[in-house]
Amino acid sequence: MRAEGLTSLRRVWRDHRRAMWIWAAALAVVTVFYLAFWPMMGEEMAAAIEGMPEGLMAAMGYDRIGTAAGYLEAVIYGLLGPVMLLVYGIGLGGRLIAGQEEDGTLELEFAAPVSRLRIYLERLLGSWLLVATLVVATTVAVLVSGPLFDLGVEPLNVLAASLGLLLLVVGFTTLAFALGAAGARRSAAVGAAAGVAVLAYVFRGVANAAGVEVLGALSPFAWMLDPEPLVHGFEPQSLALLAAISVIAAPLGAWAFARRDLMT
Amino acid sequence: MKAAVIDVRGLVKDYGRTRALAGLDLEVLPGEVYGFIGPNGAGKSTTIRVLMDLLRPDAGEVTVFGQAPQEGGPALRSRIGYLPGELALTGRVTAGEHLHHLASLRGGRGRQRIGQLAERFRLDLGRPIRALSRGNKQKVGVIQAVMHEPDLLVLDEPTSGLDPLLQHEFLELVRELRARGATVLMSSHVLREVESVADRVAVIREGRTVDVDSVDGLRRRAGQRVMLRFAEVPELSSLAALPGVERPRLEGTTFECQLHGEPDALLKAAARHRVIGWVARDRDLEELFMDVYRLGQATGIDAAPGTGAVEAPDAR
Ligand SMILES: Nc1ncnc2c1ncn2[C@@H]1O[C@H](COP(=O)(O)OP(=O)(O)OP(=O)(O)O)[C@@H](O)[C@H]1O
Ligand SMILES: [Mg+2]
Repeated sequence: MRAEGLTSLRRVWRDHRRAMWIWAAALAVVTVFYLAFWPMMGEEMAAAIEGMPEGLMAAMGYDRIGTAAGYLEAVIYGLLGPVMLLVYGIGLGGRLIAGQEEDGTLELEFAAPVSRLRIYLERLLGSWLLVATLVVATTVAVLVSGPLFDLGVEPLNVLAASLGLLLLVVGFTTLAFALGAAGARRSAAVGAAAGVAVLAYVFRGVANAAGVEVLGALSPFAWMLDPEPLVHGFEPQSLALLAAISVIAAPLGAWAFARRDLMT
Repeated sequence: MKAAVIDVRGLVKDYGRTRALAGLDLEVLPGEVYGFIGPNGAGKSTTIRVLMDLLRPDAGEVTVFGQAPQEGGPALRSRIGYLPGELALTGRVTAGEHLHHLASLRGGRGRQRIGQLAERFRLDLGRPIRALSRGNKQKVGVIQAVMHEPDLLVLDEPTSGLDPLLQHEFLELVRELRARGATVLMSSHVLREVESVADRVAVIREGRTVDVDSVDGLRRRAGQRVMLRFAEVPELSSLAALPGVERPRLEGTTFECQLHGEPDALLKAAARHRVIGWVARDRDLEELFMDVYRLGQATGIDAAPGTGAVEAPDAR
């Protein structure tokens, strides 16, 4: 007899929703808090960056920070959002198969009359759902802050930036998840995904500061931010690149997961 | 003979460089309760995990209900109830919620029996699973393994952590399952735990099957411990060479040995001397097992060499 609809997914949600809501509240509070500084910061910022060296400003993404869209990008979409969400997503991705396999709590699910592919897909979907909820919480906080603090950023452009952020975080969550499913220990899967994320972040900084465009082309952070979604809205090509991380990692992980020994 | 429910031949499994199973054989027939005995690290859990398709064999043939575990997939596993050797239960869900979750993974099968089984094993379904004692966690494991009334039960050290009362209750449950026609494979370190329910027993050691027999057969082979006290010192060789006499020892006028088979020859030889005292008691199976563990081979006069010596499961 087949498992009832989405049993594993529902369990993942159930096990993680509490912590997730705490993260959601934290993200929303931090977002509103930083955006609340905009009315004061806006003018000062414009003055302050006047004297900064051009290279440094570019590396920090401060060249546009004097505009509302630039401030929102530098503070939320370029830094706080991805850092917090990646910490959460990569940790979750590493835990949902590798971590729970190591602590033994998946043994009965593996022994149940459910195929490995289905376990894999439901758990992956669970991680996406949790991460997506956090991105939604962040986005709502941004949208609410807009009129409150005179950000003057198009709501549609906020959605475009959030979609990029979602695809980025889902990508790295999927990477950690797939590595763990493929047989990496949880610590290795989390370490590798976090390492790649840090590298991607550094690559974009170096690319912007020193003009090394190859590095920018390789960095998912550049894919997400360089099209300036807060100014120009949706840019399908870079969104597709961000989605490609998951689209490539997920099937490879599933393939390896179906073939290996569990619980060793 | 009916087709075996579990048929394992020459199973080899390595963990990296460690060889956990080195050509293990196991044949469990329909409707029998089968004891799977071996010391720590013998390979019991590894074998069981191969049956559940958690591990994939490196060599050898494994079938469960005629299908390789991997081939059989979810449909095959839906016929099996599995109790892991080390059951990890963490999280804030309650025991009842967890059991419902596991029933849901089986399409809801067994859900309606959760309450009744919890009552029988005195498990509080409202407690969070992480707060359960080891014995109570084991109850959750036992309940989830049997609640869907599977055709085959694969139980890895099912009685560990249960107090004597609940061990008894559990063995009672196993008897009921057998009466209903289920086949049961249960592992243990000690024969004592399974001897009252098992029809047959396999003893494994270092990844190989070293002995297979019915519990009665084992009992017969375990033999007796015999002590004879004589009025004067007898000649050791006249007694030690008799058929069925093993490990003879003479201390003063007292002769001691293990005796397998009929006592006739020993009694007649002893009767040529004046016997002033005698004790003969059945060796318990644990003693036989210590021999098997230590020597890694079958003991006793009619020892079946290794595996395959199959007696009907209902020989008792
Ligand atoms: N995950 C693993 N990685 C490496 N070696 C392992 C692993 N699991 C088991 N082994 C080794 O394989 C052998 C068989 O182990 P197994 O757990 O099957 O024994 P067992 O009979 O169940 O023992 P116990 O009675 O202690 O439960 C042992 O030598 C053990 O050290
Ligand atoms: Mg074991």
